[in-house]
Amino acid sequence: MPELDTDSKLAQDYKYGFYTDIEQDTIPKGLSEDVIRVISAKKEEPEWMLEWRLKAYRRWLKMKSPRWAYLDYPEIDYQEIHYFSAPKKQAEGEEMDPELIKTFERLGIPLNERESLAGVAMDVVFDSVSVGTTHQELLEEEGIIFCSISDAIRKHPDLVKAYLGTVVPPGDNFYAALNSAVFTDGSFCYIPKGVRCPVELSTYFRINAANTGQFERTLIICEDDGYCSYLEGCTAPARDTNQLHAAVVEIVALDNAEVKYSTVQNWYAGDENGKGGIYNFVTKRGLCKGHHSKISWTQVEVGASITWKYPGCVLMGDHSSGEFYSVALTNKMMQADTGSKMVHVGKNTSSTIVSKGISADQSSNNYRGLVEVLPGATNARNHSACDSLLIGRECSANTFPYIESADETAVIAHEATTSSISEDQLFYLRSRGISEEDAASLVVRGFCKDVFKHLPLEFSVEAVKLLEIKLEGSIG
Amino acid sequence: MPTLALPPATEPALLPGFNENVLETARSGEPALLQAKRTAAFEAYTQIQNPEAFHEEYRRLDPKKFKFGSFTRLDIPREAIAYNARPVDEHYDVVISVTPDGIAIEDRADVTGGKVTVQTLQQAALDHTSRIEQHLGTAIRSEEPRKFFELNGAFWNVGFHIHVAKNANLPKGILLRYHNDREGTALLPRLLVTAETGAEFALAEQFTSPDGVSTLCISCREFHLAPNANVKLVSLQDWGNVGIHIGEDWARVQRDAKVDLFSMTLGGVVSKMTVGCNVCEPNASAYLGGLFFADRKQHFDQKTLQFHSAPDTYSNMLYKGAVKDKGYSVYQGIIRALKDCIGVDAYQTNNNLVLDPGSRADSIPSLVIDADELACSHGATMGNLDPEQLYYLRSRGISEPEARRMLVLGFFEEVIERVPFEVMRDRLHEVIEEKLNPFARD
Repeated sequence: MPELDTDSKLAQDYKYGFYTDIEQDTIPKGLSEDVIRVISAKKEEPEWMLEWRLKAYRRWLKMKSPRWAYLDYPEIDYQEIHYFSAPKKQAEGEEMDPELIKTFERLGIPLNERESLAGVAMDVVFDSVSVGTTHQELLEEEGIIFCSISDAIRKHPDLVKAYLGTVVPPGDNFYAALNSAVFTDGSFCYIPKGVRCPVELSTYFRINAANTGQFERTLIICEDDGYCSYLEGCTAPARDTNQLHAAVVEIVALDNAEVKYSTVQNWYAGDENGKGGIYNFVTKRGLCKGHHSKISWTQVEVGASITWKYPGCVLMGDHSSGEFYSVALTNKMMQADTGSKMVHVGKNTSSTIVSKGISADQSSNNYRGLVEVLPGATNARNHSACDSLLIGRECSANTFPYIESADETAVIAHEATTSSISEDQLFYLRSRGISEEDAASLVVRGFCKDVFKHLPLEFSVEAVKLLEIKLEGSIG
Repeated sequence: MPTLALPPATEPALLPGFNENVLETARSGEPALLQAKRTAAFEAYTQIQNPEAFHEEYRRLDPKKFKFGSFTRLDIPREAIAYNARPVDEHYDVVISVTPDGIAIEDRADVTGGKVTVQTLQQAALDHTSRIEQHLGTAIRSEEPRKFFELNGAFWNVGFHIHVAKNANLPKGILLRYHNDREGTALLPRLLVTAETGAEFALAEQFTSPDGVSTLCISCREFHLAPNANVKLVSLQDWGNVGIHIGEDWARVQRDAKVDLFSMTLGGVVSKMTVGCNVCEPNASAYLGGLFFADRKQHFDQKTLQFHSAPDTYSNMLYKGAVKDKGYSVYQGIIRALKDCIGVDAYQTNNNLVLDPGSRADSIPSLVIDADELACSHGATMGNLDPEQLYYLRSRGISEPEARRMLVLGFFEEVIERVPFEVMRDRLHEVIEEKLNPFARD
């Protein structure tokens, strides 16, 4: 087992970089209609789902990968990827492998309900399958459905059929089409009318097998007056080859519903020479379908060698609102092109974007966002603030906001700044006896405060720690 | 790396009406230096793809709207014609007037000849060969090749060179007046400005044509500022209602020098203006001012580039625009700081007024930063007039149209007050008022 030397720098940097040696059921490399049939069969999916996948695949074949982002990476060979990999025992429907439980304990995710955090229901995805969901009984009492998407397709086909692909249609973009064709697992949440979900719903994604792609698909439906808070975390072993993670997340909020979606993304980011790491090409979109609905995205992006991700909201319902709070940190040779899209359709809609980018070492960190007000979206309001912090001479930070207003009643304000940690701030802290490294870390924490305060408590503590670990050695 | 520039062409890419034959006409009878420059620019022009609507830079302005092919390049006689004085001319030292019939350079204050040179490019190529050789079409390009910069370099049909010697200044400044009244013709003015150390002066430029006469203009201006020079330009695009305008302005600013480029887009039906400055030595600074007001289906597109290629350089930009009556405006700007350019201080502001339903404004300010220890920021706003301000004025007995007029003028004043010539400021007020007056419509 290629266990990492715990003293190595990498192990300190990225303690999630280990690999679990368990028997896995992996299908051969390559992508074709037959592979999709195999995936669909393994998941025991109904015929309509297979057709949906094949349609998306045929669409994907005609599409080209987007190259407009400020990212530099070689063409991906889609025939060199395993599209399905699952722990063998799980695949055979037996008890969970103790090795797996150990893995997740090591990641800080207890799968045992007694030990798990009281207020969080967990769904855990290992490569291509969900290996367990906690707190099922509690949720069932409330009428909440929280399970893996594969289960949902089998058990709640009507709900899936009604909403899947309505926010991110299969032809939306290249990676969404690929995901629609080969998605393996992810979470499904359904909050019935008038229910406020009593616990945080959470999914943990783990890539384990080599040369596999992870194609996560998450669908969250929140009916009238419902509320839920959903958390997502992710890690992967440290390898010197790149792995693809192409996810699609769809959220639908009906009248007066509110969904809060938080991510702490900590995929393996490659070593200091840019070798290895996860390509994180993600389409996340929320649809504020009902009036007075609200969708809020909070993300802390500290991993992945390449990130291509624009969580957004389509504000369809009158008085609906969308929020986006993001801290994106890049170091080493990481590249991130991330931001938010807010599309105002209904009347009296509002949106807020707060993006904090930190780039260190030789990384490149880009904010790219769109605020679009369609004709007739009376009284749309948007405020965007995008700040970038540069640490080191070799890194770069870019900001590309797109603002389009086609309604005379819209009020949009955008501001952005790019700067380094100011000498004055450092001097002030240093003169009070705080070491340079601590001073810099304090300034960074202050810089991110506006975003962290929107994270659920446990995540917020975790995020601060993560940031500190990542920036160790970059500042001072 | 994604860029705004057009990609290189695999085979020579020519736009209708701008081919080898037209190049030959342009070259004939010219000094050898200019012929060589035109040929080089032509080569570069053919090696850049023709603009298409799918190119990032043209996504918001379909290049079909330029209607290449329906215009022929004007052949402007090189002999001077009689100068036709206008009342506003008294506010300038030198007036250059261009019409399809010919050109006139009038030195009203007897400033040229010594420290100040105002000549046609053909004459300058003979008198100041090395200066033209060194500067024309050379220094002021971003890292990215520009199609229309090169097109103008190959096909310009009227060109001037303005040079001001060391520590000299012009008390009043220079006016360049372009008027085109020939249907279906293309005017391609070229301007090369070189300012020696410590030189200080201002230029004004005005483009006019009668309403209903369709004309195309592809203009290109280059500014080379030596250390400590101070040059201001205000350019007023005031074409008649069917004029089409494409403009490229590039300035290269050396140590301690300062350039102010004001680009006012008010006339014509389609306009695409690109203004770029390269602050290339410490303490160089640039100010880009812009004003655009699109009404009656006008489509204006402005691009700016604040290019910081040296540490401790400064730039500031303020573009203010309004749209009404199905007008459409696009602002897209970039602040670029190259690696190791620390101590850069750059700012970008774009404010837009969307005054009625059916009009649209897009704003895309961007920062591309490869250095730390600097401060670059931008701000963009969009909205209609502030109802509270309207209410304030209305409650003091001011009628609604009058209150709106005052607020729009006030909105633009922030740019206009910095414009160097009073006559230009007056003209700007006049045009904006015309656009706001509902009775002035045709």
